[in-house]
Amino acid sequence: MNNTKRTISLVSTITIMVLLMALVSGCGQVTQASLNGGKTNKQSETITVLAEKHPWTTAIQPYIPEFEKQTGIKVNLMILSEQQQRDKSLMTLQAKSPDIDVFMSLKSLEGLAYEKAGFYEDLDKYIRDAKLTPADYKVNDFMKGPFDGERIEGKLVGIPIIVEGPVVFYRKDLFAQYNIPIPKTLNDLVRAAQTVEQKSKGRIYGVALRGLAPAVSYTFGTFFHNMGLEWFDSNGNLNFNKPGAVKAIDTYCTLAAKYGPPGAVNNNFYQSSSLFAQGKVAMEIDASNELASITDPNNSKVIGKIGVFPIPAGPGGNHPTVLQWGISMSAYSQHKDAAWEFIRWATSPDMQLKLALKGIASPRSSTWENTQFKASLRDATKKEWAKTLEFIMKNGNPEVGPPAIKEAAVRQVIGNNIDKVMLGSETPQQAADAIQQGVTEVIKQ
Amino acid sequence: MHHPRLRKAKSNDLIAAFLMVSPAIVFTLAMIIFPIGYALFLSLTKWVPGSSVTQFVGLSNFRRMLGDHVFWLSFRVTMILFIACLLLETIIGIYLGILLSKDLPGQKVLQAVILIPSIIASVAIGMMWIQILDPTLGFANYLLSIGGLKPLAWLANPGTVLQSLIIIDVWQWSPFMALIITGGMRTLPSEPFEAALIDGANKWQIFRFVTLPLLRPVIMVAILLRSVDLVRFFDTVYIMTQGGPNNASMTLNVYSYLQGFNYMDMSYGSAIMLFLLLLVILISLVITKLRRRMS
Repeated sequence: MNNTKRTISLVSTITIMVLLMALVSGCGQVTQASLNGGKTNKQSETITVLAEKHPWTTAIQPYIPEFEKQTGIKVNLMILSEQQQRDKSLMTLQAKSPDIDVFMSLKSLEGLAYEKAGFYEDLDKYIRDAKLTPADYKVNDFMKGPFDGERIEGKLVGIPIIVEGPVVFYRKDLFAQYNIPIPKTLNDLVRAAQTVEQKSKGRIYGVALRGLAPAVSYTFGTFFHNMGLEWFDSNGNLNFNKPGAVKAIDTYCTLAAKYGPPGAVNNNFYQSSSLFAQGKVAMEIDASNELASITDPNNSKVIGKIGVFPIPAGPGGNHPTVLQWGISMSAYSQHKDAAWEFIRWATSPDMQLKLALKGIASPRSSTWENTQFKASLRDATKKEWAKTLEFIMKNGNPEVGPPAIKEAAVRQVIGNNIDKVMLGSETPQQAADAIQQGVTEVIKQ
Repeated sequence: MHHPRLRKAKSNDLIAAFLMVSPAIVFTLAMIIFPIGYALFLSLTKWVPGSSVTQFVGLSNFRRMLGDHVFWLSFRVTMILFIACLLLETIIGIYLGILLSKDLPGQKVLQAVILIPSIIASVAIGMMWIQILDPTLGFANYLLSIGGLKPLAWLANPGTVLQSLIIIDVWQWSPFMALIITGGMRTLPSEPFEAALIDGANKWQIFRFVTLPLLRPVIMVAILLRSVDLVRFFDTVYIMTQGGPNNASMTLNVYSYLQGFNYMDMSYGSAIMLFLLLLVILISLVITKLRRRMS
């Protein structure tokens, strides 16, 4: 009797614990069900869009209610900061969870790893289906560079939403004052930076560029490619054992260490743009998107004095890095048609024009030819900025770093060794050797 | 069957007892045991994005750890930060704590003000110090220039980055230590102090032979709490330097995060995390032992 009772109480305790556990783990679904529960309409679907806190997200957010009204699809927009957004997408997709339907994704960084993992839905079949994609979507309107950047190993894994690339912002007034011509080659660029430092007697630094290890590849890549080098040679071996690589490292680090602000080794876009906006440097090499922060009337002392030109050519021509952000569909989405409807709406010619008028660089050529858009580029800075971006899109190389599954680890090796040269603890030759060896090791892992 | 009512009550009590502790058990299982178990599982396998196939690789992640010089570097950085910050924060914390326990004019306001750094989110603190320590635009170098000193690169120099991080952490967390110690001071009996005064002890002697021994248990608790946090040094480093320049400020926690999430190697990241867990357990064991021996 005693034993039976004990057994019963034990069993009931375990049952209750299991129920509690189910309750804890089920909480998420309970709230979601109750959220949807309000509408009995079977056609109303909810899709979750995981976005980064990015100018594109801020620009498109106000239009989302329009989409919801038109289609009856509810959009649950989840906004996180860049790395947190990446962590969230990785974890959700790894669990094969249907919690995300559409997500922003940087193909040049996580593209290969996510594609190998099977996280991306193939969008080709949606594009080809005339029922899902009417002709007014104008697929051929997308520029080749950014559209190809959304294709990985032949498969279309996303649609581009914004294009950017590293450019040179410069102070027109200082260039005129010190009689500096617009640099045509990388050597001219170094000379221009040197002239600024000499003629301002060190009061103004020549150029601000990235030094923070994970972020260096983005700006350094153009220097590397302009030596006539792709990241890999035709046999798939890394190209850092070529003399051009040493020259690229030398040029980049000379700019940073000799003619850059002190502590450039730790700088990312945030610091470089602050320095430029405060009038402490004559040039800034960073993303074209930075135009917004250096022309922000609350922080900038140099509005109206800013010009833009592409990073100049090297001995191997001019191959600027072009980077596109895209939105992709999760392979595990349970609302794929609704997700596609959202992607199609967000990347339609009409919407991309609307966003372009708010300063989002469009990947569609029709936007750039649009008279309304052209008219919106009123001041000289905006005009030069647009011209530079068009140049980048036409000549761009979409590989921000050597493509690898462990892309971030590869870029860290490159950044760390470039930093060592900036700090004077390695020569450019030693750095090139170390990168050649280090990156090859990471790729083998 | 002699006391049926009593027995019934007993077994009901048992159910009630289980019911009452079950949330705690569920919580412990779900939030502590499961994650540690899963980390252990991950560290023994090869984690591949998108694959649910498990491939056991034995101890190869731990073997890789032993041969990884960045791992050893981050271990060293973690220990330097731990020892330097703990020492400074304890000394400043005791000093501030005793000061705050005196009934000085404006004491309440002072107490509120110096606690601000410990309340603000670390991310905000990181962003703020990036601006203060900026070599060109920052306030820190402006102060140095007023004093006629040479500007420093602070976070951007491998030689000064750790000192900079220590300054920030001491600024942020000494008040927290002080708060615990103030609380302790207020509970101390006044008799020993009066006795010491009557015996003609000077201020230093009172501090050394009365205050400090009486405060010891409180100080040990403060040290224990702070140590565990310090070994897991993450947020300010991640915001300000991401372990740079050239890994000079890489802590174990940051390195593990980078490996796991940025480099998509959850297995290796978990192995480093387990090492960190072991380190935390070891350090708290040592401190607990010390505490027992002292009391």
